Amino acid sequence: MAHDDDHEHATSSGIPPVSRRTFIRTTSVAAGALAASQISLPGAWAAGSDEIRIGLIGAGGRGTGAVQNAIKSSKGVRLVAMAELFPDRLAEARKTLADKVGAAATVKDDRAFSGLDGYKSVLQSDANYIILATPPGFRPIHLQAAIEAGKHVFTEKPVAVDGPGLRTVLSLVDVAAQKKLLVGCGLQRHHQQGYLETMARIHDGAIGDIVTARAYWNQGPIWNRGRKADWSDTEWQLRNWYYFTWLCGDHIVEQHVHNLDVVNWAKKAHPVKAVGTGGRQVRTGPEWGHIYDHFAIDFEYEDGTHLFSMCRQQANTAGSVSEAITGTKGFCQANDYVITGEKAFDGSAIKRKELDPYQQEHADFIASIRKGEPISELKMVAESTATAILGREAAYTGRLVTFDEVVNGTTSLAPPTVDLTASLATPPVAMPGASTN
Amino acid sequence: MTTMPAFHGAHVDGSDEIRVGLIGCGGRGTGAARNVVDAAPGVRIVAMADAFKDRLDESRTILTSRLADKMAVTDDTCFVGLDAYKKLLETNVNYVILATPPSFRPGHIKAAVTAGKYIFAEKPVAVDGAGVRSCLESFDEINKKGLGLVTGTLYRHHTGYLESIKRVHEGAIGDVLTAYGWYNTTMLWRKDRQPEWTDLEYQMRNWLYYTWLSGDHLVEQAVHNLDALNWIMGANPVAAVSTGGRQTRTAPEWGHIYDHFAVDYEYPNGKHVQMFTRQQDGCEKKVANEVVGTKGRAFILPRFSITGAQPWTLEAPINDAYVVEHTDFITSIRAGKPLNELKQIAESSLVGILGREAAYTGKRLTWEEALATPSLFPEKLEWGPMPMPPVPMPGVTA
Repeated sequence: MAHDDDHEHATSSGIPPVSRRTFIRTTSVAAGALAASQISLPGAWAAGSDEIRIGLIGAGGRGTGAVQNAIKSSKGVRLVAMAELFPDRLAEARKTLADKVGAAATVKDDRAFSGLDGYKSVLQSDANYIILATPPGFRPIHLQAAIEAGKHVFTEKPVAVDGPGLRTVLSLVDVAAQKKLLVGCGLQRHHQQGYLETMARIHDGAIGDIVTARAYWNQGPIWNRGRKADWSDTEWQLRNWYYFTWLCGDHIVEQHVHNLDVVNWAKKAHPVKAVGTGGRQVRTGPEWGHIYDHFAIDFEYEDGTHLFSMCRQQANTAGSVSEAITGTKGFCQANDYVITGEKAFDGSAIKRKELDPYQQEHADFIASIRKGEPISELKMVAESTATAILGREAAYTGRLVTFDEVVNGTTSLAPPTVDLTASLATPPVAMPGASTN
Repeated sequence: MTTMPAFHGAHVDGSDEIRVGLIGCGGRGTGAARNVVDAAPGVRIVAMADAFKDRLDESRTILTSRLADKMAVTDDTCFVGLDAYKKLLETNVNYVILATPPSFRPGHIKAAVTAGKYIFAEKPVAVDGAGVRSCLESFDEINKKGLGLVTGTLYRHHTGYLESIKRVHEGAIGDVLTAYGWYNTTMLWRKDRQPEWTDLEYQMRNWLYYTWLSGDHLVEQAVHNLDALNWIMGANPVAAVSTGGRQTRTAPEWGHIYDHFAVDYEYPNGKHVQMFTRQQDGCEKKVANEVVGTKGRAFILPRFSITGAQPWTLEAPINDAYVVEHTDFITSIRAGKPLNELKQIAESSLVGILGREAAYTGKRLTWEEALATPSLFPEKLEWGPMPMPPVPMPGVTA
């Protein structure tokens, strides 16, 4: 499948909005199951097709990447509107998409929006598949607006950075279900064949009861966009959003959420409390905002079992992005798809056959929409996001923090208003034992 | 009492009296001197040594008021200075308590073995691979000479730990899958710099905060629970990956050590074991071990219990292990079969060094690499200038 798609989409002209074959299939489905199709593509039926019309909100590297992935993943997908805060980034993204995809990812000037309210214009368009890929701090309001607008949503992870954001997101779980909307998320491991098979075996008892687990995201530093003389503090922070907790959630939330999510998946639960350490040891200059460069968290689940979590962004240090799960009857190296013990399993060969998971997730999401049974991953990604925030708060405060405290947290990390021209102090670096969060 | 064939070189008056020489008269040394007197009959403190006269005097005053006739130290058996320990070893003491900052321990152990003394060595016994190697040589030498050494990892003599780990090893929780250690605690004491102090004196009086003296808190303090992990696992770790840093205790008066570590140790057969430490005020505190097995879990400190297939809770009263460790040692000496815990504590000290170096460098470090690390001790130790070592930086520190 993927190879066919790759071949089909390799031309610079991209793909036609709806292929003849898709159209025929669509019309026959429409004739037979009009009501179901209407429900599955709210606001899109007017076009008389099952075309997926992407509205991109947040056109950075991940956003433009997700558009390419979605278009590659399935037939009848194109980009119809996009929003990006900064005009220069918007222009860059449009050029990237035009160069790499062609017509299917090219929008006209009146469908490309910049500014903080750009997302509203995208939601008012005929887009029916919204990709949310802004910095995570904006995710709760964008999710809410997209679901209220009746759009199917692909949301990048994480989906919040604080308690108020989490509650907004959690409140949308039922709303999205009632409206039969897709809410797919960027925890793409859930769409990797190897993870799926491995988890199925764990859930089938292959390693017995899970009694301890380890999750790691240890790597080097990432990008920094520097600062230009004409940028206000706010603009500088937004352009370097990774280094500000109100925008990013810190790297344990933004990045390590993937690995924490895998353990939650295996356990079919989320931790109830955590104690942790962390700090800003190497990446200490003001250009790196105020986030930490390492965390180590001792999570505890309801059943009293521990999850050891370690993540860092430090140059020239030992790397690992992995999850290890130990049960009473076996051991699972989840990222390798390997189980040892009585019911051993070696899924390492699957890795070579797997589709690009960033593409596979869109294939799955779009198929679910077209089938009239849209997937909702919102609760899952909200709980995994909350787990990561729990870890961060444990390290920031030095206290024993509970999951419920995090979800019920009332402190919003964002400034009261986001004004692109405003001065905005870098928040203080969190000090364990002193933080009030 | 019977005669003591095991009292090499100390058997001057045909008695089995334990004549204690205290090397390092700080809080722990003074405490250990009181503990050893309580541990068995026929024990007297007869000599003292410390780098600093005021510290020795303070300790001597306390011991004189508390120990009455068990305190037999005279002006002639009090020694001060960097070589005070040598003079003490020349007296007729037969049992030395080594309670200086840990970096002095390998040299003091070696000298005490050469002088034919029984040794109570506070934990840890080294701060670097070179020190561990020296201790492993002394371990063999102690066996060869029929001497003995007990160390201050008191859990090894603690009812709760002994009863719990015995049950774990007997299979009460099935096969051991993993274990955890915690030493999450507050900040410790510090002494303000006085104008007359040289750099060396300042660092030595605030020895906790300099890796070359203390080994950092993972080694100096958490070695208790690291030793328990080695005991539980019945092995030394193969390698470690670790994070750590200096997040709240950052001012220069706190030297250059870290205020938190989290170590992921890899033991044989792919088993991983974690250790968490912190010395930060206002944070969640926990000092404990926990073991996870195929059939249950053991909770060790502050209460002792096992859940699962063979549930158990310790009901026996818990002993005072600070005293019992000396009782066990003296009993073994008097029985002619002196204990020698040096290999065990040298290895447990290296567990700490391994975790520390993995955090300092950011590397995955092996046991052999940790054992090969060079000495942190100054080539020449004399009162005078001593530069502040830099704060270690993962990915930068070699």
